[in-house]
Amino acid sequence: MTSTANAYIVGIYEHPTRRADGISTAQLHADVAYGALEDAGLSLRDIDGYFCGADAPGLGGFSMAEYIGLQNLRHIDTTETGGSSYILHVSHAAQAIAAGHCNVALITMADRPLASGAGPVLAGVDSAAAPENAFLPPVMVPPAFGYAMVARRHMYQFETTPEQLAWVKVAASHHAQYNPHAKLQQVMTVEDVLASPIVADPLRRADCCVVTDGGGAIIVARPEIAKQLKRPRVKLVGSGESMKHSNGGKNDIMYSAGVQSAAAAFAEAGVRPADIKYASLYDSFTITVIMQLEDIGFCPKGAGGRFAADGNLISGIGKLPFNTDGGGLCSNHPGNKGGMTKLLEAVRQCRGEAHPAVQVKNHDLVLAHGTGGLMSSKHMAGTAILAAE
Amino acid sequence: MKKKTQAAPQSFVTSETQEFWAAAQENKLLVKHCRSCGENHYYPRSRCPLCGSAQTEWLAATGKGTIYSFSIIPGARRPTATAIVDLDEGPRLSSVILDADVNQLKIGDGVTVAFEKMEGRPPAPAFTTAAAVAARAYSVGALKASKNFPDLAATVPDEVKIVAIIGAGTMGTGIATACLKSGLSVVLIDSNESALQKAESGVSSALERDVERGILQPELATAFKNSLTHAVSMESIRSADLVIEAVWEQLKLKQDIFGQIDKFARPNAVLCSNTSTLDIDEIAGATQRPQDVVGVHFFSPAHVMKLVEIIRGKTSTSKALATCIRFGETIGKVPVVVGNCYGFVGNRLMLTREREAARLLLEGALPVDIDTVLKRFGMPMGTFELQDMAGGIELNYRRRQETGEKNFLVDRLFELGRLGQKTQKGYYRYDPEKRGPIPDAEVTEIIEQASEHYGISRKPISDSEIEKRLILPMINEGAKLLDEGIVARPSDIDVVWQYGYGWPSWKGGPMYYADQIGVSSVLTDLTDLFARHGAPFEPSPLLSRMAKSGQTFSSL
Ligand SMILES: NC(=O)c1ccc[n+]([C@@H]2O[C@H](COP(=O)([O-])OP(=O)(O)OC[C@H]3O[C@@H](n4cnc5c(N)ncnc54)[C@H](O)[C@@H]3O)[C@@H](O)[C@H]2O)c1
Repeated sequence: MTSTANAYIVGIYEHPTRRADGISTAQLHADVAYGALEDAGLSLRDIDGYFCGADAPGLGGFSMAEYIGLQNLRHIDTTETGGSSYILHVSHAAQAIAAGHCNVALITMADRPLASGAGPVLAGVDSAAAPENAFLPPVMVPPAFGYAMVARRHMYQFETTPEQLAWVKVAASHHAQYNPHAKLQQVMTVEDVLASPIVADPLRRADCCVVTDGGGAIIVARPEIAKQLKRPRVKLVGSGESMKHSNGGKNDIMYSAGVQSAAAAFAEAGVRPADIKYASLYDSFTITVIMQLEDIGFCPKGAGGRFAADGNLISGIGKLPFNTDGGGLCSNHPGNKGGMTKLLEAVRQCRGEAHPAVQVKNHDLVLAHGTGGLMSSKHMAGTAILAAE
Repeated sequence: MKKKTQAAPQSFVTSETQEFWAAAQENKLLVKHCRSCGENHYYPRSRCPLCGSAQTEWLAATGKGTIYSFSIIPGARRPTATAIVDLDEGPRLSSVILDADVNQLKIGDGVTVAFEKMEGRPPAPAFTTAAAVAARAYSVGALKASKNFPDLAATVPDEVKIVAIIGAGTMGTGIATACLKSGLSVVLIDSNESALQKAESGVSSALERDVERGILQPELATAFKNSLTHAVSMESIRSADLVIEAVWEQLKLKQDIFGQIDKFARPNAVLCSNTSTLDIDEIAGATQRPQDVVGVHFFSPAHVMKLVEIIRGKTSTSKALATCIRFGETIGKVPVVVGNCYGFVGNRLMLTREREAARLLLEGALPVDIDTVLKRFGMPMGTFELQDMAGGIELNYRRRQETGEKNFLVDRLFELGRLGQKTQKGYYRYDPEKRGPIPDAEVTEIIEQASEHYGISRKPISDSEIEKRLILPMINEGAKLLDEGIVARPSDIDVVWQYGYGWPSWKGGPMYYADQIGVSSVLTDLTDLFARHGAPFEPSPLLSRMAKSGQTFSSL
């Protein structure tokens, strides 16, 4: 097996905007690319690998390479797996570096669903010809309902309660109060969450992530280069990816693909869930977090609700602080994709550069995990384990 | 049922799936069975996605399954839930549940496939609940049973070709439209010329709407319009086979009108009143031929609503009744024969519900709380929305003027000109820019004043308490109607509520619902409510007898 655990995240940048009126998606991509280069202390010329998803306007990253001015590309990867894309990109970049296909990889993500009025869709993704479409029901059902059905089944099977789901939002809001860029900075109580209107029963508005414009970028580099840079070193020590779908009708939706992706990442890193000091968990909905807590192995299956309700997700109080920037639930979920922002806060924690009020003391091992697609049917999970060096 | 024969678009029907879509046209669900691995899969593919084998074959599924999980789609006009269904044949699939009591769904409930006809493509797979299927089957039977009157079976009804309608108001206009659309000739009579003009244009625009919607040929519409004549003089009813009086709801006026009808109508014409609350026998008494007088109680808007209660007077002949039933059927209605009492069947239950809703307002609920509960229960509209639409505040006010009875809340609303939708405000306020009623702080304030006026301290009332206090008395009232002999059978009450008030066929009707929750549980709850809230909940003797003997309404 080619080890992916041989590359470093050397630069990151999160666009401060949450609503990008009057800025093109291309410019957002470029802004975050330059931001990450500056953070790393690298220049445009150093980039020889480029990774992006379908949010990058134009065919397969070409237009963005041209617009940004990437002149030395010898590797390109446009893997699109929804929100988890960028976690996969980090892993793919490490593999490409290990295989000698590139030295410094740039990953960009940006979109503006608010300013463009597109709403809760994935830019650049056209599912019109999908074979399952013919068998869709006569009523169009937004994605929130898929997660709502996961939540209801979880409640049925494991006695998870709306209050327990609410605790996930409460924890995120406790962190978001320290993030001046967070879309929702108000601290919320369980009562506040339960008072918000039902969106997709049993999920309430507060159980859902925010819709925002913006984006972020990451630069991955080979060890020799990383060691010459001045920023705290963050090493990718393990990664995993896994796909799950309806499988012809044989599919237990009480387990996500995260079971396999996390197991692979832990195996590669040679560590256990208990070793992780901080986790960025995909938080499209509160139930997404509960499911991943269980599937990654932070708690037994069915215990995610209790784990959250015991305050474990809150930094400074709990066993496993999560999404200390406020996450998608409170801060940012640009382009309806949360994978990039999950990585960014994981890197900040690993560097010891999160907001002091939420920075975990011991940050030697952190994890970022994403679920792209629909947890109730087709989805792709990606897990990355990062170590401070 | 008409079958779609047009070829489906290429993208849907391929060699891989054409059998599936052919079966779908027959509401049959096919899945694929793999002869290699023995597994069934869905959606169907030529190669088994579980083992890769090409040895697959079609399997006719039962179409039945159970709910693995679901989520209700809020605010859908048609009840809809998204669901993951475990088919009895194995595969688990994502679909929707339609036309069912989605607010009562539970994981594990039985569902059954109900393909949905689509424009320009083959039917789309969807499901409905086993409970809804049973209720719909019951509803079909109930409708059939409502036509069964042994004492009328041998009577040959008279043919009705010309109808005279006296009173060209809301109801007269609607009834005239329904008659014309079925090819009958109509003479509309009103003492007020401008009412006649308004009625005529009302009929025309209803017909034109049908032409615009493509459901009526323009030539036919013209022919229908030409079959309408109007007059001020009562003499014009001479040619009518059937006369319907639809003037203001005042006994004196109606009696006076019937005296004139008696004078001008031809011998053996059937003489009908559309009264909603008055005693049909007292009206019949104003004529020399009470045997020819029958109540025909239409529902507003009369050219849309299907129900007609046929009220059997003390002396109504079989011939007159049979003619009214046939006439109702001719104009596309659902006639249900009922006895003579205040409110007949439909309004007896509705007024019971309205009275209790009014008490709930004083005790702590708001119109929107109550209406939300009723809609979640399955009603197309809440009681206050309905009253705002039908002018309930004004009716309530006027009803009490003779006796001088006071009602703090309704009197205040009336004085403020809050007459319902027609004045843009009633129990709610209405905004022409927005769909549906909007809760109004002014009403909340008046309701709070009313509570204070009656010395009632307001407190929160749970949704389940609201539901019980509104629905159980309706069942109780239904039981009383049965005991009083006003209805021939429990299912007639359900037919009345389905076709007159929109009780959904997937929930059967109040009496069917009573059977579903159990007569003894209805009795227990009513007994408890009687103890806590008094007389309106006193259980009917029939319910007690039924609970004792373990009978159900469907077995009565
Ligand atoms: N509106 C409803 O929802 C509804 C439903 C069912 C039954 N009804 C009953 O139908 C009847 C009519 O109700 P409506 O809502 O159509 O009333 P309306 O006020 O709209 O119409 C009554 C019409 O009767 C006419 N009229 C009065 N006196 C007359 C006379 N002496 N000769 C000729 N015409 C005369 C008036 O000019 C008016 O046009 C009432 O008995 C009512 O209880 C009404």
